[in-house]
Amino acid sequence: MARAPSNASAASSGPPRTSVDVAVNVNGDVELLRLDNRVTLLDALRDELGLTGTKKGCDQGACGACTVLLDGKRVLSCLTLAAQCDGREVTTVEGLMHDGTLHPVQEAFIRHDAFQCGYCTPGQVMSAVALLKEGRATSDEEIREFMSGNICRCGAYPNIVAAIREVAGNGGA
Amino acid sequence: MSVTEQRALLGAGIDRVDGPVKVTGAAPYPSDVRYPDMAHAALVGSTVAAGRVSQIDSAAARAQPGVLMVITHENAPTLRPGAAPPFAGPTPPALQDDRVHHYGQYVAVVVANTPQQAASAARLVSVSYEPDEPLLAIDDARGELLRDPWGFDSQRGDVAAGMAAAEVRLEARFTTSENTNNPLGLFSTVAAWDGDTVIVHDVTQFTSNVQASIAKAFELPESAVRVIVPYVGGGFGAGLRVWPHTLLTVLAARLLRRPVKTVLTRPQMFTGVGHRANTVQTVKLGAMRDGELTAIDHESLQTVAVNDDNVEPVASGSASSYACANASTRDLQRRLNIPVPGSMRAPGEAQGNFALECALDELSYELGIDPLQLRLRNYAEVQPASGLPWSSKAQRECFAVGAERFGWFGRNPEVGSMQERGWRVGYGLAGAAYGWWQARTEARVTVYGDGSAFVRSAATDIGTGTYTVMKQLSAELLGLELRQVRFDLGDSDMPYSTQSGGSGLTGALGNAINVACNGLIEKLLALVADDDDSPLQGCSLEDVVARDGGIYRREHGGGAGSDAGEGYGEILARHGVADLTVDGESVPPDPGQTGMALTGAFGAKFVEVRVDPDLGLLRVARVTSVIDGGRILNEKLARSQILGATVGGIGQAIFEETVTDPGTGRIANATFGDYLVAVNADVPELDVVFVGEPDRNTPIGTKGIGEVGLVGTAAAIANAVYHATGKRLRSLPITLDQLM
Repeated sequence: MARAPSNASAASSGPPRTSVDVAVNVNGDVELLRLDNRVTLLDALRDELGLTGTKKGCDQGACGACTVLLDGKRVLSCLTLAAQCDGREVTTVEGLMHDGTLHPVQEAFIRHDAFQCGYCTPGQVMSAVALLKEGRATSDEEIREFMSGNICRCGAYPNIVAAIREVAGNGGA
Repeated sequence: MSVTEQRALLGAGIDRVDGPVKVTGAAPYPSDVRYPDMAHAALVGSTVAAGRVSQIDSAAARAQPGVLMVITHENAPTLRPGAAPPFAGPTPPALQDDRVHHYGQYVAVVVANTPQQAASAARLVSVSYEPDEPLLAIDDARGELLRDPWGFDSQRGDVAAGMAAAEVRLEARFTTSENTNNPLGLFSTVAAWDGDTVIVHDVTQFTSNVQASIAKAFELPESAVRVIVPYVGGGFGAGLRVWPHTLLTVLAARLLRRPVKTVLTRPQMFTGVGHRANTVQTVKLGAMRDGELTAIDHESLQTVAVNDDNVEPVASGSASSYACANASTRDLQRRLNIPVPGSMRAPGEAQGNFALECALDELSYELGIDPLQLRLRNYAEVQPASGLPWSSKAQRECFAVGAERFGWFGRNPEVGSMQERGWRVGYGLAGAAYGWWQARTEARVTVYGDGSAFVRSAATDIGTGTYTVMKQLSAELLGLELRQVRFDLGDSDMPYSTQSGGSGLTGALGNAINVACNGLIEKLLALVADDDDSPLQGCSLEDVVARDGGIYRREHGGGAGSDAGEGYGEILARHGVADLTVDGESVPPDPGQTGMALTGAFGAKFVEVRVDPDLGLLRVARVTSVIDGGRILNEKLARSQILGATVGGIGQAIFEETVTDPGTGRIANATFGDYLVAVNADVPELDVVFVGEPDRNTPIGTKGIGEVGLVGTAAAIANAVYHATGKRLRSLPITLDQLM
């Protein structure tokens, strides 16, 4: 009755595979996870690893609250399946501090009051860290453009720009 | 220009005390809460806007791996309605019968071991409906029309006579779209029962009301319900009510005997937690050639749900905005099959001010009078409705300071006359006010033997800075250093607090803390009343001042012993008391006693826009906001309130519009990809300045500033667009197609 398997991955004649094993480096530690294959990177961070600093604002890739770095690049963790992260490096807001000291972007956000309710803040901070690294913070206009994937409903945008401008002016982070 | 009085620890722009936990992701929001053995709920929404559920089949959902329970109206236990917050009726509990009142109304709850299992199984719940034709349009005469639904309509003088006497008359119709609050934090509830008591982590701006509502719904004493929300994740009014998902989560946890978490989806945030009602408004103005207003007539029709009540006076603000002997304001509501509207930042004024301030701008061009001069010509020196003096009003300074900073008088008043690099440039302004509101609130203060203090209340900090300014205020009132004061909130086990809303919390809570701190000092003075070793023996509250970590006699002429006093720790130690706790309660001031009108914040908005005449592109280039907010407790955070509200106003003016499908009642743009809000690139540098004096109605002298910054933004933008292009746009949002 069964068709001949055409390759190894389709060899099973049982129910479809619903879990996946992932080894992912999160903030410097390798985590071994067995996950429902529908689990996003965002849900894996929050629900499996307890790293709740990364926020879910829409789960549709439209608000930026879930921004993390994947192999050093900004990604929306709600649109990234955890299964895609096997063997890769993830940095979350929890991974920014060094030896108990805030990252310069985090310090600048506090100094410039660049947040209010704080919910979008981890995503804003991660985007800011990345765009500074990418050299995309050379003018206010450029900062505004490259930070426009991160919605702040409290409307702290002018203070976010001021914070990033200051860090950029100090030679980046 | 006067400067707001500042005392030692106040006014200073200290950094937000919750900054470090927010920038590191450590601040716990309700959606971050986890319990061992916690289950996850997903909600199924109605796909019709009116009718009945004829059949509901959850067998396929129940058969999915990990699914624990499906609750529908067929198996849900009876829930009683919750408690009513200040500006609305109690939200009707869900799943109590088969009737459908709006699209997205919850018809089932699926509970499973993981959120993925719950969400996946929720899609397999099969619901059949007997649909009715939904009433969805504000002008649908079949929808019940409510006149003067809250008794706020106002009438003074003789509007018809004022119109007849006018040399110039203007009538204009305005519409404002439905807006959705859309805080970034998805509304979430985690409920964990222990016997007949329950802990509920809930996104709310009003813990005490959630506690009361759950107690009512589940017929429990309030002491059996504890609501915790140290960090909210934004609300903008959406968190003022107790929504069905909260009660359903508590219900699921009770039935399942396990903790349950529900996190709404972004589309559910459009149908389940309120929105700003759309309006159709008519403003009629009569004026003499010199600009004197002889009549103001403002009527507003807004939408309301068929199964709910919402208090949102839109027109009534026009009764107290300007001096005019003849004024009439009327609010109407049309009941429709729409998701429940509620408060959204600056409710009522956001829509009503747009209509009045645009109409005044139009009138100014008719009269050939500068828009600023027209407003000053009709400046209300006293509260026009009551005739009482304002407890504080510096709006004249708002206009003067704003005009100076913005360079208002540098504009060429001729329409379409200003251009730069192919863009048409326009200047517009608007007056702004946000009405006074306050409600009973309590605070508790404890002083310890080491001289430190702990102050708390069941209030919330929605991002406005309550943690920070209440810590500053407490330290000031007790004469302590900031580091000696701990302030906490967000827990209904703490003393009762009103909502963080209506621009009323800082006044309500600040005055409660003032009462508590004074009460504490009086209690300490009573302790030393017969104490021969105390330099404070025989002193009453009026004789002393709190400073330097204790209580000191006021200096009266520098006589012997006039500067004597002692620290809190010394008093407690000598009397063998480990700590001392006092509660304080604030109640709103009574104009009958103070002889002054209850007075909120005032402002003036100046806006420069750029319009591309070929493509219709509209950019906000500059905004100057000048605000009379009474005494400012922390200028850095206060400025952020005005910045954020201005950004909200830009969104209201040119982006935000919740679109309802006219046939089905479905929200057609219920995502952040489709419902546009202002993003970073839409917002220029924003200029904010505060003027005015401490308000005289309460001891701490503050006025609420969380909402006034939004008011006037849309009108000033629309007025600037007219100046740039000659197009008088009376419908929000102003979109590109209107400008081409």
